[in-house]
Amino acid sequence: MNICVVGTGYVGLVTGAVFADLGNDVVCVDNVAEKIATLQAGGMPIYEPGLEEMVARNVADGRLGFTTDLTDAVRRSVVVFITVGTPATDTGQTDLGAVEAVAREIGRAMERYTVVVNKSTVPVGTGDLVREVIERHQSRPVPFDVVSNPEFLREGCAIEDTLRPDRIVIGAPTQQVAMTLLELYAPLERPMIITDVPSAEMIKYASNAFLATKISFVNVIANICELAGADITQVVKGMGLDPRIGPAFLQAGLGYGGSCFPKDTDSLVHTAAALGVDFVLLRAAVETNAERAGHFVRMIEKALAPLDDKRIAVLGLAFKANTDDMREAKSIEVGRHLVELGAQIRAYDPVAMDNARRVLPASVVYCDSPYAAAADADAVALITEWNEFKFLNLERLRAVMRRPVVFDGRNLWEPERMRRLGFEYHSIGRRPVLPA
Amino acid sequence: MRRTKMRRTDPGGITSNQILGIFGTGYAGLVTSVCFAELGHTVTAIDKDHDVVARLSDGTPTIHEPGLQELLTGNLESGRLRFTTKAEDAVVGSDIVFLCVGTPPRADGRADLCQVEEVARTIAPLLDGYKLIVEKSTVPARTAYWVDWTIRRLAGPNREFDVASNPEFLREGTAVQDFLKPDRIVIGADTERARSRLLDLYRKGFHCPIVATSVTTAELIKQTANAFLATKISFINMVSDLCEELGVDVATVARGVGLDPRIGSHFLNAGLGFGGSCLPKDLNALITVAEDNGVDVAMLREVERINTARVERLLAKVDRALWVLPQKVIGVLGVAFKQDTDDIRGAPSLGIIPRLHSAGAIVRVYDPAAAQNIQKLYPPNDRLAYVASAVEAARGADALVILTDWDEFRSLDLGGIRSLMRTPIIVDGRNLFEPARMRAAGFEYHSLGRGEATLRTVPRRVPV
Ligand SMILES: NC(=O)c1ccc[n+]([C@@H]2O[C@H](COP(=O)([O-])OP(=O)(O)OC[C@H]3O[C@@H](n4cnc5c(N)ncnc54)[C@H](O)[C@@H]3O)[C@@H](O)[C@H]2O)c1
Ligand SMILES: NC(=O)c1ccc[n+]([C@@H]2O[C@H](COP(=O)([O-])OP(=O)(O)OC[C@H]3O[C@@H](n4cnc5c(N)ncnc54)[C@H](O)[C@@H]3O)[C@@H](O)[C@H]2O)c1
Repeated sequence: MNICVVGTGYVGLVTGAVFADLGNDVVCVDNVAEKIATLQAGGMPIYEPGLEEMVARNVADGRLGFTTDLTDAVRRSVVVFITVGTPATDTGQTDLGAVEAVAREIGRAMERYTVVVNKSTVPVGTGDLVREVIERHQSRPVPFDVVSNPEFLREGCAIEDTLRPDRIVIGAPTQQVAMTLLELYAPLERPMIITDVPSAEMIKYASNAFLATKISFVNVIANICELAGADITQVVKGMGLDPRIGPAFLQAGLGYGGSCFPKDTDSLVHTAAALGVDFVLLRAAVETNAERAGHFVRMIEKALAPLDDKRIAVLGLAFKANTDDMREAKSIEVGRHLVELGAQIRAYDPVAMDNARRVLPASVVYCDSPYAAAADADAVALITEWNEFKFLNLERLRAVMRRPVVFDGRNLWEPERMRRLGFEYHSIGRRPVLPA
Repeated sequence: MRRTKMRRTDPGGITSNQILGIFGTGYAGLVTSVCFAELGHTVTAIDKDHDVVARLSDGTPTIHEPGLQELLTGNLESGRLRFTTKAEDAVVGSDIVFLCVGTPPRADGRADLCQVEEVARTIAPLLDGYKLIVEKSTVPARTAYWVDWTIRRLAGPNREFDVASNPEFLREGTAVQDFLKPDRIVIGADTERARSRLLDLYRKGFHCPIVATSVTTAELIKQTANAFLATKISFINMVSDLCEELGVDVATVARGVGLDPRIGSHFLNAGLGFGGSCLPKDLNALITVAEDNGVDVAMLREVERINTARVERLLAKVDRALWVLPQKVIGVLGVAFKQDTDDIRGAPSLGIIPRLHSAGAIVRVYDPAAAQNIQKLYPPNDRLAYVASAVEAARGADALVILTDWDEFRSLDLGGIRSLMRTPIIVDGRNLFEPARMRAAGFEYHSLGRGEATLRTVPRRVPV
């Protein structure tokens, strides 16, 4: 099938590469010329395991191309995916500017029946909006359909998620239209849900909102554990074995960040409010999440105060492991607070440091290894749960530090082990390990 | 006593059969008793209710639970199980004493620990040598500390005992099955002695993961698990309200959401919310413990509020469907808090039936198992009757209101039901039916989270 993907970010590039890999002819479009130039030259604008090889392979085989020319790409395609960004505005609503702009251009370009698929995460009702915009801007009155096909991939394992999704959701106005997408996805042999457009849009928001709620739930319980003297890791082990609950997304810590959960939860709160439903439960989950960084900084302050003469090594900056994405990363807030309190910060992240430079306070010093960051530090603060931190040589880490104090925002290490190694160790929802 | 000694000298040191005393023969206690007896242990179960003890000793189950009858009769016959009202029988000579007494909510939401404290006081003077005392009742974090304190104060010096926690996760309706094949066993012990004895007890016959942790953590696990399940239900009910506004079907949304294994499809049925003797009370108890400790649990408070509001939402639908209630005949299907149980504690029916009645409606109630229990609360009168079948409840009714997800309601003969009713209106608090099917069967059908969509002539759902 001839496909075009508009918006070559995380979602667009991965979707395009995977569909090409499945044998389709794919053109990826973006309006940022450098991005397209980079891709055409064989470069990678984002970090994603396995993506570079997959893109290279399909470009070499002539199934995948890149362009800034939307009109040409749309005219050659049967199915057009919209995968542009849908950031949150300052008030938490969804900025649909890019979606609307793309819809306009698609309308102008369209010369024959086309299926326009919205893959960007958009508020319920956007499907209708896209249809209206296209209609209004069509240069020729050819028929078209708008389908919702929300994306569930996670950065860091985006390829795997796209090849083996838990479910494929297709919201289509008629069964016939749904068939086009069914055909496209059939080789994946995964469960499909075929429904109407608003239900499909809702599934995406409700899923992310629930996962956000799960994380905040556990963080509230972690707060209770800290005061009751219980151990959150044991609590979640006990509850996660209940199959109705499941162990996933039960890690207490600094809470969620990234480009999806924060904006999608805000957006659902707004959609609900517009419909006259006050989604207090979700608002509470959002507030709980917003308090995590402050909670962590207070923990640091309590143990180290005053901070103005302290040097703190921050390990991990990305919003989660296996990505260079800094959007809504907890390191931003923690870093800002610590700098405000006068601490000197030396940071290390395996891949996100370039992106971090743009959003962290200017005084932050970037190092090429965790040990370099920890050199002469009064404390280490772990923000992102990178696997390589799990397997750090902790003896070596302690040896280079001025004071062996560790604040673990992700409960990555075992308190017992930290005690044995002679650390003072503070983590989330567990008793601290204090110097004897 | 002699048997105890002999067994302890068994070669290999693996204690096989133990002598257990169990306090409380309600849902949790009775199932625990018959199941441990079935596994070969010698069980003495005590309840202070003479009636209950007499009936159980006769082999008559006091609760409705699949599989219970056979286990009860079989183990009474084998002599491994007996019931008593005398605490000595359960404590003296036993290795482990389980607390399975009730911990109902007090008016202020806290768990009422009177029964637990009473058992602690009862046990204290009866201690004869080392005894392991295990909380199986669901109790707030730190209760074990107070049980220990109470016994220590009253038992006199040199009494050896430990207090451990072993929360019970069985669900009414599948209690026997849940007890014998649990997802996990949680053992909370602060001494090696207590931990190894509990591990011993569960070594034989169980093949699930065991989480061994501290007493306080174990206590918290149970309440947290229930609070999370409650959160899941309230979450989907909130989404259900949104779906009504958007004219989409919450069942489809839940299916799409539940296919994510990090979420799972369980407990995502929109409807009247959670009830029963556990979820509401455990949630509330967790909230109070947290707030006592200064933890902000606005999220959990909201879970509770959403659930309470479900009853109002259903009543509003009844109002909208029937307009004026006085003298309208309403058939109520189901009063149990969920299917396969006779338990009505915390059931939405408790909020709904009196409200319909006081609004002037003529209420006819049917439940396959729980009618007896609700009759005790609301005796029949000229406008409240208890009938023997769903068909009877529908006869001449202006509307049927479904409050429990009993399977037998799903397989009702809809044509027959409709022909008996004065007006074919169904208000379904459990979303048991497909709106399209009900429309085809000639019903005006109101459910939750699909409300407006269900009345639309052109279905918006594209069938798969
Ligand atoms: N990143 C994720 O993990 C993830 C997962 C699921 C869903 N989503 C959703 O997918 C959508 C895209 O997310 P993303 O992370 O890929 O965003 P992104 O910001 O990485 O990529 C968006 C791309 O669209 C391009 N673009 C913007 N306007 C354009 C226009 N008018 N014409 C052509 N190109 C244009 C941008 O230049 C950018 O390259 C969002 O709605 C997001 O919520 C993202
Ligand atoms: N019912 C469930 O599904 C379930 C599941 C898991 C845990 N639990 C927990 O187990 C505990 C018991 O629940 P239940 O539903 O069985 O309660 P219940 O009220 O049905 O039973 C409690 C029994 O204890 C007896 N009792 C009270 N004080 C006593 C005393 N001093 N001596 C002897 N007997 C006494 C009462 O007469 C009653 O029969 C609660 O903490 C509950 O939260 C219940």
